[in-house]
Amino acid sequence: MSSDNIYAMVDPEIFAAVQEQIERDSQVKEDIREALKKIDKEVRSITSTLSRVHIVSPQHVIELTTTADEGFKRLRDSLQGLINIVKDYPYYKYNGIWSRDIQNVTFLVLFQGWLQRSYAPGNAENSLLTIEEAGGVLGIPVNLKTEDKFHLTIEEYLHAVLSLVEELTRLTTNAVTQHDFLRPQMINRFIKDIHSSFQVLNLKNDSLRRKGDGLKYNVKKVEEVNYDLILRNLIPTGADEGGTEKMEDAKGPSEQQE
Amino acid sequence: MSTSQPSGEPHRPKKFPTQEQQNNPYLSMFNHFRDELDEHHDRRERVIKASRDITALSKKMIFTVQRAREPFSPLPTSLSKEYETRFKQVQNIISIVSPDLQEISTYRYARQISGGIQEYIEAIAFHHYLTTGKLIPLSVVQQSVKHLVEITPGDYILGIFDLVGEMMRFSITMIATRGGAEKDEKVAKALRDLRELRLEFEGLDTTLGGGSGLLGKEVQKKLGVMKTCVEKVEAAMCGVIVRGSERPRGWIPDLTEVAGGRGGRTDRIDQDE
Repeated sequence: MSSDNIYAMVDPEIFAAVQEQIERDSQVKEDIREALKKIDKEVRSITSTLSRVHIVSPQHVIELTTTADEGFKRLRDSLQGLINIVKDYPYYKYNGIWSRDIQNVTFLVLFQGWLQRSYAPGNAENSLLTIEEAGGVLGIPVNLKTEDKFHLTIEEYLHAVLSLVEELTRLTTNAVTQHDFLRPQMINRFIKDIHSSFQVLNLKNDSLRRKGDGLKYNVKKVEEVNYDLILRNLIPTGADEGGTEKMEDAKGPSEQQE
Repeated sequence: MSTSQPSGEPHRPKKFPTQEQQNNPYLSMFNHFRDELDEHHDRRERVIKASRDITALSKKMIFTVQRAREPFSPLPTSLSKEYETRFKQVQNIISIVSPDLQEISTYRYARQISGGIQEYIEAIAFHHYLTTGKLIPLSVVQQSVKHLVEITPGDYILGIFDLVGEMMRFSITMIATRGGAEKDEKVAKALRDLRELRLEFEGLDTTLGGGSGLLGKEVQKKLGVMKTCVEKVEAAMCGVIVRGSERPRGWIPDLTEVAGGRGGRTDRIDQDE
C-alpha cells in the first residue's frame, strides 16, 4: 500500500474540509457579535434609566424602575435573537463570547429586582432575586447540567451579584445625599449577608475569586457610612437597633478572616 | 470552611453559626452553589489530569516510533508491541474520562482536554505517517478513540502542526544515516512531504476570527516553528549534497558506524534528541 501512492502524502480534501470549518466557525462568531451589539444597546439604555436611582428621591424609585420595563422587553427579544443563532451549537462552544454580556444583563435584572423590593413599602427581608427568578425574567433556563441548551450559569449569576454589590455601595453614598438614611442600613445588612454567603464558596483562582475578594472593601465602605450616620444620630429608628448593628460591625470582619 | 458540610444547617458544632449567618436569607442558596461549583471544579481537575496522562503516554508513543529505521513500512515487532501497549493505555484513560466529557460538558472542558488530545493526534499521526507514508485523516483519528471524546478540526490541525516537528527529527536522522536525496528515494519523499505540508498550512486562512478563531492564538507561533522545521531539513539536505561532492564517489562517511546500530540499537539516536 505504501509503495502505491508513495508520492501523495496529503489528501487535499483534508485541508479543504478544515478550511471550510474555520470559515463556518468565524461566520458564527461574526453573527454572535452582531446579536451582542443589539443586546449591548438595550443594556446601555436600561443602565442609564436605572442609574437615575442615584439622583432621584426615594419615593420616585419604584416609578423609575417600572420605566425600565419597556427596555427589558426589548432586551428579552434581542436575547432571543442571540439564542436563535447559537441554539444549534454546543452551548459551551461559544459561550465565552457572550458570557460577559449575560453577566451585565443579569446584573440589571438583579438591580431592578433589588430596587423594587427594597423601596417597596414594608420592605422585604429578601431583596436578592434568586438565579431561578433572574432566569425567569430573562426567559432562559438556569444551571443546566446535562441538557445542552442556552442557559444562565451559576458563575454568571454570581458575577452579577458582585456587580450589584458594587452598584449598591455607590448608592449608599448617594442615598445619604438624598437624606435617605434607611437605604444605607438596608444595604449594609444586604452586603454583609452576601459577603458571608460568599465565604461558603470554594472558589478557584479565577475571575470570580478576584472579584469576590473585593467584597470586603464594599463592606467596609458601607459600614463607614453607617457608622458616621449612627455617630451623628442621623438614624432615627431607635438607638438600640443602631447600637447592635454597630457591635456586629466591629466583630464582623475579624471573624470572617478565620 | 469544611467541604463536607451538607447544604442547609451545619451539623458539627465546630463553628457556631453566628447570629449573622442564621438570619442570612441567602446562605442556603449559596450552599447549593458551593456544591454545584465543587462538582464542576472536581470534574475539571479530573479532565486536566487525564489530559496530562494522555500527553505523557503520547510522548512515549512518539519516542517509540522515532526509533524505527525503515520508514513507510510496518514497525518492527518489538517497537510495534511497545507502541500498542501505550496506545491501549491511552485508550483506557480516554474511556475513563469520557463520561466527564459528554453532552453539555463536551465543550465545557474542551480547553482542558485539548492539550492531551493534540499530543495524541501527533502520536498516531506520526505512526500513521511512518507506516503508510500518508497523512492521517481526521475521520481516522475520530474512529481511533471510538468517538468517546470529541476531536475537533482545531485539535486535529494543531496536532498535525506538531507532527511536522517529529517528521523533521526523523528526516534529519535519516539524512545522517542514509545520505542525501540522490541516494535514497525515501529521504526524498520525506522532504517532499514536509514541503507539501508546509504549503497546505500556508494555504490555510487561519486569521479568520482573529485570536479567538477556531485554532486560537497558538496558531501563528506554531506556523513559525513549522517553517523552521522544514527549513532545517532543507538545509541538512543541502549540506549533504555540498559536502558530499568533496568526497570520492561511492564513499559514505557516516554509515560505517551507524551500520552496526541499525537493527535494534537506538541509544545513539536518542542522544541526538
